[in-house]
Amino acid sequence: MKKYALYPGCVMPTEQYALEMSIREVLPLFDIELVDIKGFSCCGEPLKSVNQMLTLTLSARNLAIAEKEGLDVLTPCPICHLALSECKRILDTDPAMNERVNKFLQDEGLKYTGQANIVQTVDLLHNVIGIDKIKEKVKKPLKDLKVATHYGCHLFRPSEIGRPVDSENPQEMENILKAIGAKPIDYPEKIDCCGGLLTANLPESALTKTGQKLQKVQEKGFDVFIDVCPWCHRQYDAKQTKAGETVAAKLEVPVLYLSQLLGLSFGISKDKLGLDLNLSPVDKLNLGDK
Amino acid sequence: MSNKIGVFVCHCGINIASSVDVKKLTEYAKTIDGVVVSKDYKYMCSDVGANIIKDSIKKHKLDGVVVACCSPRMHEHTFRGVVEAGGVNAFNLEIANIREQCSWAHDNKERSTKKAKALVRGAVAKAKLLEPLETSKINVTPEALVIGGGISGIQAALDLAEEGHKVYLVERNPSIGGRMAQLDKTFPTLDCSSCILTPKMMEVANHPNVELLTYSEVVGVEGSIGNYTVKIKKKARYVDMDKCTGCGDCIAACRLKDRIPSEFDEGMGKRSAIYMPFPQAIPLKCTVDAENCLMLTRGKCGTEPLCVEACEASAIDFKQKDEEIEVNVGAIVVATGYDLLDPASLYEYGYAQSDDVITSLQMERLISSSGPTVGEILRPSNGEKPKSITYILCVGSRDETQCTWCCRIGCMSALKHVYLLKEKLGDDVEINVCYTDIRSFGKGYEEFYRKIRGMKTNFFRGRPSEVRNVGDHLTIDIFDTTTNKLFEINTDLVVLVPALVPRVDAADFARLLRISQSPDGFLLEAHPKLRPIDTFTGGIFITGCCQGPKDIQDSVAQASGAAARAANILSKKELEAEPLISCVDEDLCSGCSTCISVCAYNAIELVKEDDKSHAKVNEALCMGCGACVASCPSGAMQQRGYKDKQLSPMIEESL
Repeated sequence: MKKYALYPGCVMPTEQYALEMSIREVLPLFDIELVDIKGFSCCGEPLKSVNQMLTLTLSARNLAIAEKEGLDVLTPCPICHLALSECKRILDTDPAMNERVNKFLQDEGLKYTGQANIVQTVDLLHNVIGIDKIKEKVKKPLKDLKVATHYGCHLFRPSEIGRPVDSENPQEMENILKAIGAKPIDYPEKIDCCGGLLTANLPESALTKTGQKLQKVQEKGFDVFIDVCPWCHRQYDAKQTKAGETVAAKLEVPVLYLSQLLGLSFGISKDKLGLDLNLSPVDKLNLGDK
Repeated sequence: MSNKIGVFVCHCGINIASSVDVKKLTEYAKTIDGVVVSKDYKYMCSDVGANIIKDSIKKHKLDGVVVACCSPRMHEHTFRGVVEAGGVNAFNLEIANIREQCSWAHDNKERSTKKAKALVRGAVAKAKLLEPLETSKINVTPEALVIGGGISGIQAALDLAEEGHKVYLVERNPSIGGRMAQLDKTFPTLDCSSCILTPKMMEVANHPNVELLTYSEVVGVEGSIGNYTVKIKKKARYVDMDKCTGCGDCIAACRLKDRIPSEFDEGMGKRSAIYMPFPQAIPLKCTVDAENCLMLTRGKCGTEPLCVEACEASAIDFKQKDEEIEVNVGAIVVATGYDLLDPASLYEYGYAQSDDVITSLQMERLISSSGPTVGEILRPSNGEKPKSITYILCVGSRDETQCTWCCRIGCMSALKHVYLLKEKLGDDVEINVCYTDIRSFGKGYEEFYRKIRGMKTNFFRGRPSEVRNVGDHLTIDIFDTTTNKLFEINTDLVVLVPALVPRVDAADFARLLRISQSPDGFLLEAHPKLRPIDTFTGGIFITGCCQGPKDIQDSVAQASGAAARAANILSKKELEAEPLISCVDEDLCSGCSTCISVCAYNAIELVKEDDKSHAKVNEALCMGCGACVASCPSGAMQQRGYKDKQLSPMIEESL
């Protein structure tokens, strides 16, 4: 049994419940215990352009809390994962910054030492649990399901600071999907941005990016579109119809979290995986019905 | 033993003086036991500085000298000459390196002065214990080895042969010619590459002083400057070189005809298992590719090999074996060339995903009238003429994640292609060039660039983020930094201009020759400005792209330079041998042979005297690397000029 502190971030517990539900169903099958810890705050990433010091301090604070419990951190949200990883890299290599940040943490009786490792769901499934273990759990192989994957930019960029997957040709999700019998196919737009982070300033452009990518996926005849990031999922799932309007297309692409599709192949019921919370036409899939 | 030491402190302009208090250091040196005179000067390596040393030697009857200056690598040789001229043995000189190891490394003047004092103190302690040494003479073998038969190696071999030296020219491939033979035209003059290269190939092959060893590799190098013994493996061609007439009947007959990707055509064309790389190959003989030939891989080729049947000269011999020969040479010129970065490793450029993404060298083969398409420009995916071609420069070059350096030929070769493609496909063909900076630095290059700029060509300044294969064509997103706009280019054929990288086996090769590599992997010159052709190993010189990317004109110029440097050695009857070599205290030596096992130069042997064995150093072979000294368990092995009894007091004093 390996324990991880579940770092929920902001979007998952306030809006993207299905992500949390499916992760809590799937990971325990592999002897992973998710521990809820009191006191986690925002990762700090949204503040980076305004106050970097604050971002660093917030990230370090969260890591210090996990360290206190002696746990590694699982961050399902790639944006939080990036913030925490970048903080770890800076504090582990820059003693002066480490000292400055730890001074802020002192007030709460916390200390960042760099003990806690940070993993993301894809990383955990592919590199810690491993493909073979995933194969063993499959009850319902998703035979020949044509899958388009979407990693989300924060999972693979910037490559210099060390991300869980390759920045140009990520294949980890593909390997996982092959293990459950699905047929992931690379497509030229695979690593394109979802547009989500443009929402605040350029909402039209944000939706256009979403629409362009989904339109290509639909044209290529994929059965399902799989993502991991709650921000990206919001674009592709909840805003799919609106996104379609920006490219004058009627989009009907089922969009699922990776953990939801895995759950289905492991025989977990649809409601436990929160499939009824998806707003895209997931019923088209005809999966998970006994 | 010396007891009258002079200390001479150099300011090196402000290089030393800015962070070491040289006046204080000079005054301090006077107080060290054994020092009878101490002086400082702005540039001790100048004529005036040399005279200060020489005059002091005479005036104070010095028998040992310490110069506190730059690294011994820089000026030890200079100062040895000075003290020798002053009347002291050249090896009674000790350098205290207070520049690289002190002033350049520190900026706290007080503390670096303290360190400089310690260094000088140590140097004086050692200088007092130095012994005078005599140099001996070694004979020189007046023959040369040139490794690599590209344009650089050919030029070096020709120059040395013309000087009257016998030259062995070793080439790994079946033919000489190298990269230049693969090119169609050369920039900026658009000379036909083969037309200017083939005569040089003929000349070197027919020169009475040149022995051509093609399809051969250097597998062992022993000895040192003036006397190298080189082992060369002549790979089996499975063709009798004397009988083969180069008619090519066997090539046409081969069962694997047009089945094996041709290395010379960069995979754009196919060849047989028995082949000649290109029609102008020298020697004009066939070679059997042992990795693919059915006879050699399976022992069977139909009922009978068709090549044997077709060969009227009965030249094919499947029983041939690799052969190893040994040659003695006085100097070695290395001209092993470069590899291209494999663009498949850069996923974003789509090289692995589309047949219509090719390298510039592949394009060169398409343009060439002796190439696989006889000079027609056709898309590899469907064999049609492209209406739009896009060049991407700096693929992997000037990229901190790949190769940090500039390839120096990419811009010009792409501009050359623009001209040739417009000539072949008409003015209407759309050509896009995505560049970082156009570097047209050579003579006539900028003029050539200007000419191409006047032709109908789209230049985008920027690096494409990705090349996408969208079925019948390719799309490229590029942010043009001159207009600050994002463009989408739709194109039929993408040509990547990849980085030039060291040969894949450069590290092994460098180890074989005992020469160094720079951090980028290319072979390292002894000094980037003043000894750009020499290596740190005496008698071995580097030329062409094995030293770093360069164009043909620079490679040829450097080759002539390397030949001249090698001839410097070969034209002498004898050389002075380095006296700073190992010696054995025979009474202490137990004959354990540890030193023999670590000696890379085979310079030590075990001799038996009476009933006791001890090590003996061959002074002609010893290079003074010190490996045996470090490995000796009893301290019997010592290096002249660096004996334990000289180094220990030096360390003690410094600390």
